[in-house]
Amino acid sequence: MERRDFLKATVLTGATAALSGCEKPAQKLVRFIPEEDLVPGVATWKPSVCTLCSAGCGLMVRILPGEAEVVRGGKLGTIQMGLAKKLEGNPNHPVNQGRLCARGQAGLQITYHPDRVNGPLRRSGPRGSGNFLATTWEEALSEVVSKLGEIRSKNRPRSLRVLSGRLRGQHGELVRKFLKAFGAPPAMVFDPLDEPVLRQANLLSFGQASIPSFDLARTNYLICFGADFLGTWNSPVAQSAGYGEMRQGRPGSRGGFVQVEQRMSQTGGNADEWIAARPGTEGVLALGMAHVMLKEQLRPHVQDNATRLIAGWSEGLPDYAPSPVEEKTGIPGKRIERLAREITAHVPAVAMIGGLPLAHTNGLFSALAVNALNTLLGSVGTPGGMFFAPRPPMQESEDLTEDGNFVRDLLGAKLDGTDVLLLHNSNPVFATPAAWKVRNSLAQIPFIVSFGSFVDETSELADLILPDHSPLESWLDDVPESGTNRAVVSLAPPAMQPLHNTLAMPDALLTIAHQLGGDLGKALPWESFQDMLQDSMAPLRTAGGMHPPPSPEAFWTQVQEQGGWWGDEPKQFGRLASPHGRAAVKFTEPQFDGEESSFPLHFQPYVSQAFLDGSLAHLPWMQELPDSLSTIMWGTGVEINPKTAQRLGIEQDDLVEVRSQHGSLMAPALLSPGIAFDVVAMAMGQGHDNFSRYASGRGANPVTILAPVQVAETGSLAWAATRVRVSKVGKARPALFSGGLFERPSELQSR
Amino acid sequence: MSHRWGMVVDLDRCTGCEACVVACHAENNIPTVGEEQALKGRAIHWIRVERYYEGEFPEVRVKFQPVLCQQCDNAPCEPVCPTYASYHTEEGLNGQVYNRCLGTRYCANACPYTVRFFNFFNPAWDKPLHLQLNPEVSVRQVGIMEKCTFCVQRIKSAEVHAKMEKRDLREGEPTPACVQSCPPKALVFGDLNDPESEVSRMTRSRRGAKLLGELGTQPKVTYLQREDWNAKNI
Repeated sequence: MERRDFLKATVLTGATAALSGCEKPAQKLVRFIPEEDLVPGVATWKPSVCTLCSAGCGLMVRILPGEAEVVRGGKLGTIQMGLAKKLEGNPNHPVNQGRLCARGQAGLQITYHPDRVNGPLRRSGPRGSGNFLATTWEEALSEVVSKLGEIRSKNRPRSLRVLSGRLRGQHGELVRKFLKAFGAPPAMVFDPLDEPVLRQANLLSFGQASIPSFDLARTNYLICFGADFLGTWNSPVAQSAGYGEMRQGRPGSRGGFVQVEQRMSQTGGNADEWIAARPGTEGVLALGMAHVMLKEQLRPHVQDNATRLIAGWSEGLPDYAPSPVEEKTGIPGKRIERLAREITAHVPAVAMIGGLPLAHTNGLFSALAVNALNTLLGSVGTPGGMFFAPRPPMQESEDLTEDGNFVRDLLGAKLDGTDVLLLHNSNPVFATPAAWKVRNSLAQIPFIVSFGSFVDETSELADLILPDHSPLESWLDDVPESGTNRAVVSLAPPAMQPLHNTLAMPDALLTIAHQLGGDLGKALPWESFQDMLQDSMAPLRTAGGMHPPPSPEAFWTQVQEQGGWWGDEPKQFGRLASPHGRAAVKFTEPQFDGEESSFPLHFQPYVSQAFLDGSLAHLPWMQELPDSLSTIMWGTGVEINPKTAQRLGIEQDDLVEVRSQHGSLMAPALLSPGIAFDVVAMAMGQGHDNFSRYASGRGANPVTILAPVQVAETGSLAWAATRVRVSKVGKARPALFSGGLFERPSELQSR
Repeated sequence: MSHRWGMVVDLDRCTGCEACVVACHAENNIPTVGEEQALKGRAIHWIRVERYYEGEFPEVRVKFQPVLCQQCDNAPCEPVCPTYASYHTEEGLNGQVYNRCLGTRYCANACPYTVRFFNFFNPAWDKPLHLQLNPEVSVRQVGIMEKCTFCVQRIKSAEVHAKMEKRDLREGEPTPACVQSCPPKALVFGDLNDPESEVSRMTRSRRGAKLLGELGTQPKVTYLQREDWNAKNI
């Protein structure tokens, strides 16, 4: 929606829906449009927060009255209520500025999904059978309380573990406080889309274990190593907005864009120059450019923190002269020289890295190399460059780095002593290689509680499912890490009443804490998550953004009305802390699983434009969205270069088997000119065994056949380090979008 | 002053992200047809992003091009309709009157842009997905042609609001759902009758071209060509 509509948007406060049979106090506390204010055909817009990826965009939700069948107090009935009809970007939100990506808009279908868990469930068949029976909240919660009471009385508090997706904002604080007061280890976080290698590199180079932001609107030249920053990576809406301005926002000055990757992504499709360096040599290419810049003195010779980490920097990077770099990367030395001259002739210029290059065993080297290149370009913390977004000045009781790492604990056998596992917003059984046997490890845990809204491959192992509200039915908060130069807290009250007999996960945790009492009750004194949110925001009242600071009550109202809090626009980008870097790193050859002779092709899974890591595969809008490059709908394909396919006797739409040392899968072959001869690629996200009627049994999951190779420095999965062989096994019928003109755009006629 | 609605698609800003596609689905109650029907080419997307590969690896390039109804001034779909279901509105839109349409599909045959879609079945939403439906847009039944309307419900709503406030429509008002969502602001919408509007200004751009303009359809959508990289002399 546009800004002026936003000003008209009404936020209604104080009224409580007079719904008989509300079971939980939390359902009575939330604020809805009172029934008498619902006017047929008149829309209201309410702020909300997109929780589908790490960007943390602000939403506006279009609410119209309608009739919905709901269960209240065990009875099914039809009530008049405000229903969310459409999600748009919040025009005042500093990250997405009123815009919203395809996935964010499809988030509406989570609330109305026919396969949502519509009330608490208890497992009734053998574990993993998917058989559950309905139970009541009283019984379900008291069962959790008694299990936790049991392990507390046996003095085994460390046998409680939490496994969760991204844990940011007060959702994260609540979980941390809960676990600390209980005496349990920190939550294990598993988010396949996080970039632990980039965090580690930025900690070493710049003293910040964060994902950077980019001032693309003011950059003249961007070289991007692998990151799908216009599609799925980091903060795609904010980055797309900046990209649009970089191209056509400054009359007479159009920024250039070079993409380095082996399989053309949606982002790469927009590049002026597309470069397929050999897999795992992206950092070499970056240093090859730096070598030329140093040798020809194109930039003042920098010797600071980020560059000191690179071995041989002060000698002018002798190992990265054009000819050895050409040998390693496969990119002609002349081209590297030209790129180096071009980028320096167009400062402010910036380099970006993310995604596949960081998923090689030498990913950390590549990230450090790009950090050093940015330093040499003078683009760290400067207009048109990269920077780190400021953090809101909130009280954080715990250090964020305290969160545990699921993969480390899994592989370190630290799950063995777990008696109770609480599962929230994460599906590691689907999103990890079969070789890690996550399912087996989790199945050993005596008691698993899931807060999931859907039965998926991981939550089907649960003994109890305590379904969370959908995001639009919940109090939401998030602290975006990137995408803006202002400190931001996204926060919003529920946009609509719950449709089903669900309970917000934070309120369920608070109820459990209060029933357990003792230290837990003291550590979590809030009656509801709403109270906790309100308290957490108090320090921001005088921290800028609103001038003069309003009264505490007016502040809380205003935060809810605008969908969060954002600080003032800083005059310059934030200062960087002192770096932690010590050792000087050198290029090491990336390691691949599988001998080249029997597994000749690099296997590159990539984050799906529609489904991300697979967490959105249950949404019909996303299933029927044609992939930007392959145009496939309702399935997955194996992208392969036509020349390679011809050599292997494979044609378009053949069913092929992709085999690694660790498993195999079958999918249709999609012939694509935008992929290197020795690479095959597959989108993540399909291949669910059990994830709603729309995703189950559809397509194949490339992650299952990955080799369990890790990036040594971070322990994260090196998901680009698997080699495969591909062979034809039959015929397939991929659903490709048939709409199209078939003429080439270059043949467009002028008037 | 009467309006003449038009759009500009800046291909130099478009990234192929397809936010517009989902925005259109959500706004206009476009049914999802499922894999079987999609295989038969019956998926419905009033706006789509076409992808064109040029060249061979490694010298390969991609062009993205969003295509929607071009709202032609000289529309091939209109004169072929035996029931006047396809007609030209006073504001220049290629309208489609659903309850006149009897599904001859002549209009789809005539349209060179393949932006008209036929409902082979009555649309269905698994409950409670039907709650997502926008009450301001009719759900099309079996046997009906449908197509992009430039979000006529949003246009009408903005016009009514302006009238209630006794004023003219402002720049940027109304906004179709695709234009509203577009992250890089590749889509611009407005009144071509107002020479000062952003859409009129951009329509006059050197980079402007009409899709299949040589056919004489006189589209009201203008495509601004992607520019080539032009390095400074080095």
